[in-house]
Amino acid sequence: MAVPLIETRHLKKYFKTPAGLLHAVDDVSFKIQPGETLGVVGESGCGKSTLGRTVLRLLEATEGEVLYKGENILRYSKRDMKKVHLNMQMIFQDPFTSLNPRLSISSIIAEPIKVCGTLKDKGDIQKKVHELMEVCGLPERYVNTYPHELDGGRRQRVGLARALAVDPEFIVCDEPVSALDVSVQAQILNLLMDLQDSKGLSYLFITHDLCVVRHISTNIMVMYMGKVVEYAPKDELFQHQAHPYTKALLSAIPTTDLSRRGRERRALTGEVANPIDPAPGCRFAPRCPYAAERCKQPQELKQVAPGHYAACAMCQP
Amino acid sequence: MDKTLQTAGSREALLEIRGLHAEYDTDDAVVHALNGFDLTLQRGEKLGLVGETGAGKTTMALSILRLLPPRVGKITQGSITYDGIDILSASPKEMLALRGARISMIFQDPMTSLNPVTTVGDQVLEVLKLHFPEMSREERDARVDEIMKMVGIPPSRKGEYPHQFSGGMKQRIVIAMALVSEPELLLADEPTTALDVTIQAQILELMKQLKEKLNSAMVLITHDLGVVAEFCDTVAIVYAGEVIEQGSVEDVYARKDNHPYTTGLFNCIPDLYTTADRLEPIPGFMADPTDLPQGCSFAPRCPHCTQRCLQEKPSMYLRGNHGVKCHRFSGKEVK
Amino acid sequence: MRKKKKSPVKTVSGRSVWGMVWFRFRKNKLAMAGLFLLLFMMAAILAAPLYVPYDQVVKQNIVEKFTAPCAQHWFGTDQFGRDLFARIVYGGRISLFMGLGVVAISFVVGCALGGAAGYFGGRVDSVIMRFVDMFMAIPAMLLSMAVVAALGTGVDKLLVALSISQIPRFTRVVRSSIMTLRSQEFVEAAKCCGTSSARIIMKHILPNGMGPVIVSATLTLGQVILSIASLGFLGIGVSSPTPEWGTILSENKIHIRYHPYLGLIPGVCIALAVMAVNFIGDGLRDALDPRTKN
Repeated sequence: MAVPLIETRHLKKYFKTPAGLLHAVDDVSFKIQPGETLGVVGESGCGKSTLGRTVLRLLEATEGEVLYKGENILRYSKRDMKKVHLNMQMIFQDPFTSLNPRLSISSIIAEPIKVCGTLKDKGDIQKKVHELMEVCGLPERYVNTYPHELDGGRRQRVGLARALAVDPEFIVCDEPVSALDVSVQAQILNLLMDLQDSKGLSYLFITHDLCVVRHISTNIMVMYMGKVVEYAPKDELFQHQAHPYTKALLSAIPTTDLSRRGRERRALTGEVANPIDPAPGCRFAPRCPYAAERCKQPQELKQVAPGHYAACAMCQP
Repeated sequence: MDKTLQTAGSREALLEIRGLHAEYDTDDAVVHALNGFDLTLQRGEKLGLVGETGAGKTTMALSILRLLPPRVGKITQGSITYDGIDILSASPKEMLALRGARISMIFQDPMTSLNPVTTVGDQVLEVLKLHFPEMSREERDARVDEIMKMVGIPPSRKGEYPHQFSGGMKQRIVIAMALVSEPELLLADEPTTALDVTIQAQILELMKQLKEKLNSAMVLITHDLGVVAEFCDTVAIVYAGEVIEQGSVEDVYARKDNHPYTTGLFNCIPDLYTTADRLEPIPGFMADPTDLPQGCSFAPRCPHCTQRCLQEKPSMYLRGNHGVKCHRFSGKEVK
Repeated sequence: MRKKKKSPVKTVSGRSVWGMVWFRFRKNKLAMAGLFLLLFMMAAILAAPLYVPYDQVVKQNIVEKFTAPCAQHWFGTDQFGRDLFARIVYGGRISLFMGLGVVAISFVVGCALGGAAGYFGGRVDSVIMRFVDMFMAIPAMLLSMAVVAALGTGVDKLLVALSISQIPRFTRVVRSSIMTLRSQEFVEAAKCCGTSSARIIMKHILPNGMGPVIVSATLTLGQVILSIASLGFLGIGVSSPTPEWGTILSENKIHIRYHPYLGLIPGVCIALAVMAVNFIGDGLRDALDPRTKN
């Protein structure tokens, strides 16, 4: 197989807190091939956003490697990082705080171009901005408007145009549609998929919404308290969930299909704790209906089917 | 419009909203938040009110409690009748007696709806003291313990402060506060939106259990069609300050004879059990509440739009109890 | 429900950022009044030699002492018979210009220090803020005295002394408004394309955190004018007979009871200057914010 576009190896990010060491991202390894999307799913506090930011070095990793085309970018200097950032961008969850309210739409989109110096001439920059706006479905008349004059969906398009301004190959999408209404959400998802087709982009798509992730991903990674609990191609994951947490997550989603109204729910008891100085065993065990003595042992990801990995004592390789 | 509504139920309705118009007077323009909002709620009925941001769902809830922001928001037309009381002309004293005691509200964010410096037990107790001053102290304490148990919080924790509880637990406390006075009507404004899916499932499960135990009517305001399917008996779809479709969950979710907007909403939810290559978003954008179209407010985005839709506002066409405000159904009503 | 604004799709074409700021500023009547008042005062003060000779300021004429305002002495005379109008006009050179100078210097330095402390946090923050705390612990007056004692007297030294005493409060205000902004997603977005820290602070953070700082700056002016007077009274910095609004006020304070104009006129001058700057500050704060309706 070709060298993956992005790969992480045993990536760890710990935060010091007064209560102890918070294992926000704990030993996460994944690969993303060009043109693929990796969906990262989990509840709040599972470390999915931290993972995205660590990959982009917005946060410095505690341990492990992030490889971009086979090279470990965690060892890069600031100047080298700038070049990497031309290929790796991010779009954010909150369309209301992710745009600088003092800048007009065109300055927001032009900012990365100016900072990276990919284009020097003012006319060229303006041309590029118009091009990006068209690609992202923003009518030209919005050039001189300010973020507060746009609604959530249009703002998210501006955020996307800004990320595309430097022609990246890889974009970390941190819950890009969770703050939007469903009808707008569908528009943005379609746009993201169209861009992937036309520009060959790769995404790391972070979300708490399994429906959305099924729609857009090639592979899906389920995280729980900083650990990867399951990793599989999307269809495999939706047909044969191996980890009890994934099963619970799926059954918890309210569905519009009335025939499934009376279905058996695996409602979980308890709530997610903070992974501060966690015990070595399975972190899901306290909420797991199948927890047993063996769950106190560390659980490694095991292959349960080709390309399908799960970290659960019940899953035999 | 009125005649169509009266057919909705033969019993005396608990809440009746007729042709309600509400607007916000901002510096820039007048925002028409509600434009002829009609709703009938029976005792014990669990209604899901579904709509997108800016559709007027919250304005509706605040209007019932007469809690629209003073000076900015006002009701210009229509009537709200709650159990024979005309809400819009009720005195402040009457409203105080209604709010909290007979009508409770659960807000979206459990983090901000609890007072951080009072113990959760005291906060629940406060509601009782306010609305049932004649209750003895022992009775009150017993009632607090009971309700805490009911929402799944050990009464031993009632001396703790809100920050010592997690998000889902806080929402349980908020629910306890809303239910402790055994209201006849519960307005829940996106009660699970701020929570994670597994916690949302727990809260929905809890609300289902409580639904059996308490016979209060409920309006569940949400943007999530799935939550409504799980929990409600009837559903009303709101667009641009109007109910554009109403009926039993079975009728509406059969996905036949829906309003084009409802169809659009269903189509743009990524479904868990089927894979489609592309979602079908509703074209265009939400109607601008400062500048609403003359005819059907959905017409500019509607695939079935005709000349009539642009000029004439459709009324509610009923087929049994399933009503749709769309000209496509005119002449096809079934009693 | 979210109160939606009417989405203005009108294209405001070809106007530069500053053009828009000026456009919005002009719409604010109070701010324009403040600007005209301030410009008028500055012009009157600068052009003083054209219509009042300087020796009027110091020329004593005991015979005419305590003359109430009249055609010859517009603002009356003080206990030595000196013309109050001349003293006010020449005194403005120190009061108004030094006041504005002090505010400007402490504003700029405070923004830089507070910006760095708030943005970088951690050790940088600790070091800067401990210094600021140290300065804050010493009363402003005492601090200025100490600085003047170290540097020697003179108008320029006084400027430095007063600026140093005002820097800490600006640093604090700026820092706190920066800290709430630095974790915003648009700042992260800027970091994503390798934007330098200086550019992030200057372009993305400071403009968004300026509101409270500008208000605090306009209010500081009045305080500075009075501080100049107090220092003058203590014999540091500007001393009699060189006029200056605060000094005029303190020289005449014992006579205010029978000759109220002696207190009223310099007091009103100070108040007008502060008010003008305050209106301008408010207007500027709104004009700089594109969210203000235009």
